[in-house]
Amino acid sequence: MSKENKDVLYGLYNDEEELLAAVDQARADHLEIMDVYTPFPVHGLDPKLGLAESRLHIAGFVYGAIGTLTAFLFMTWVFTRDWPIIFGGKPYFSAPAFIPITFELTVLFAAVGMVISFYTVCGMAPGVNNPTLDDRITDDKFCIAFDVTDTEESFQDKLKGFFSQTGAAEVNTKPLPA
Amino acid sequence: MDQFTFSSKYKTVLFGFMGLGVLCLAITFFADAHEFHTRFWTNFLHNATFFTGIAFMGAFILAAFTTALAGWHTLVKRIWEAYSMFLIPGFILMAIMVAATALHLHHIYHWTDGEAVANDPVLDGKSGFLNLGWYSIGTIVIVGLWVFFAWKMRQISLDEDVNGDASFDHHRRLRIWSAAFLPIAGFSSAAVIWQWIMSIDAHWYSTLFAWYVGASWFVATMALTIIVISFLKAQGYLENVTQEHLHDLGKYLFAFSIFWTYLWFSQYMLIWYGNVGEETVYFQERMDNYSVLFYGNLFLNFVAPFFVLMRNDTKRKYGTMVFASIVVFFGHWWDFFQMIKPGARLTAIEAAAHHAGHGADHGGGEHAAGEHGAELAGHTEAVSHSLDFAMGYTLPGLLEVGIMLGFLAFFIYFVFNRLAKAPLTPKNDPYLQEALHHHVEMHEEGAH
Repeated sequence: MSKENKDVLYGLYNDEEELLAAVDQARADHLEIMDVYTPFPVHGLDPKLGLAESRLHIAGFVYGAIGTLTAFLFMTWVFTRDWPIIFGGKPYFSAPAFIPITFELTVLFAAVGMVISFYTVCGMAPGVNNPTLDDRITDDKFCIAFDVTDTEESFQDKLKGFFSQTGAAEVNTKPLPA
Repeated sequence: MDQFTFSSKYKTVLFGFMGLGVLCLAITFFADAHEFHTRFWTNFLHNATFFTGIAFMGAFILAAFTTALAGWHTLVKRIWEAYSMFLIPGFILMAIMVAATALHLHHIYHWTDGEAVANDPVLDGKSGFLNLGWYSIGTIVIVGLWVFFAWKMRQISLDEDVNGDASFDHHRRLRIWSAAFLPIAGFSSAAVIWQWIMSIDAHWYSTLFAWYVGASWFVATMALTIIVISFLKAQGYLENVTQEHLHDLGKYLFAFSIFWTYLWFSQYMLIWYGNVGEETVYFQERMDNYSVLFYGNLFLNFVAPFFVLMRNDTKRKYGTMVFASIVVFFGHWWDFFQMIKPGARLTAIEAAAHHAGHGADHGGGEHAAGEHGAELAGHTEAVSHSLDFAMGYTLPGLLEVGIMLGFLAFFIYFVFNRLAKAPLTPKNDPYLQEALHHHVEMHEEGAH
């Protein structure tokens, strides 16, 4: 049976410039960062953390293309095969009349599909409890977190030294559900 | 290098292209078998309205961005200021067009024919707006107003370089002039677009047309701006303009290409659905006789930029951006060709048939006049269903491309001339620091 909690050691910074410098320092010291939490998107943080560019937009394009095809082909089938009706003397297959709905479904599929993908990848769903390390990281604090589960005291001291060296305003530990 | 020097090497090249343009214009004038020189005058109108519109959009973009408190564009605003100064030659070009219309040197506009207006209830009904007084005074006053506002905004901006201080008084004045210009620009541009371009198809109208043309101008302006910035950067100027600024310009190019398509489709679908003969004739004519022009327009201005510029990274590379900009710039020039040529060609054909009919009238008396009417109607019916391929009408020929290059060289010459008169970076602009630190891409490193 796996361990229920993991222990997290985290430091809070007052400014994103300090955070970015600390991330650089951690990379230089070969400290493995568990995650970084910021109240707003910080430019240039992703490459410093070595994160690959999100592929969400590729998924978005695919969902959009599926929406386009669904709308256009469905309307074509309905108006030419299933239930042909003459509107305003136009032919059964009237592409211009299909365009607005095709556009709408493209947007709808892309938007809803990307939201669902994003929530799935992030493990978010209604009712899921996502504990935060500190409520202030959604307000004005910038946080670097390390996983210190089953680590030596000396390693944790090294991390604390790192935090004080890079100017963290606070250093705390907290157990998080694994 | 913050001071652009307009070297004699550029001047020689630009003069060469201007010479080519003049030569091509002269050839279309003299080689035109037609008595009204329709090919020459439509080419002149086409390029004069296109480039005057780009100059106008330079002023409009500056006014809109200033009013919206935008900061990122500060590093490139001198380029749009220089564009807006082309309104002065634009004023002269349109004044030539006005003079030619008043003197009946051409027969592009059916509504200038007094006899036709008297016998035509539709043209008669429109004569309160489609008349020489409105065309000439409207053009002179409206383009004159644009020149005044563009000049005023540039004066404030240039004065800010020398006398600007922390009170930001210059910027406050610039905002007032900008905000005043926006509604004037919106309404007045619609009036001249109806006069200059929509009235070529004198019976036809579309309430969306002014927006459509305005969007075309806007996209062409953005495309040309991207080309000019890339050129200046390659020459070592504008070192503070980065991929971040290019990315924003690319988003404008992408978004407004789609906006243009939205307007194109809105205009097309409403007319298609309504199916009123007076309205559908505009598209019928273009789809039957100018199908390459008509569908090529959609390909150049929607399909190509949509797929090239959709991805994030293509908007951040000079190569793809310049490629897309050249396609789109040419595409909107093509769009203007498509708006102007078919209507003017039909007007010229009908007028020629009418003049030929006059000769017969003198011999035949009253009886013949009735027959002539029926004949003319039959003739019109025939031409509107199949027109032969004619270079310079069905498609832009080499002469048209040469004229476009000539006008473009004239435009660039004027713009470079103005750029050389002031530093490229407006140094006391309150938004300069914001522009220097502009950063839009989350994933890119740096700029902090």
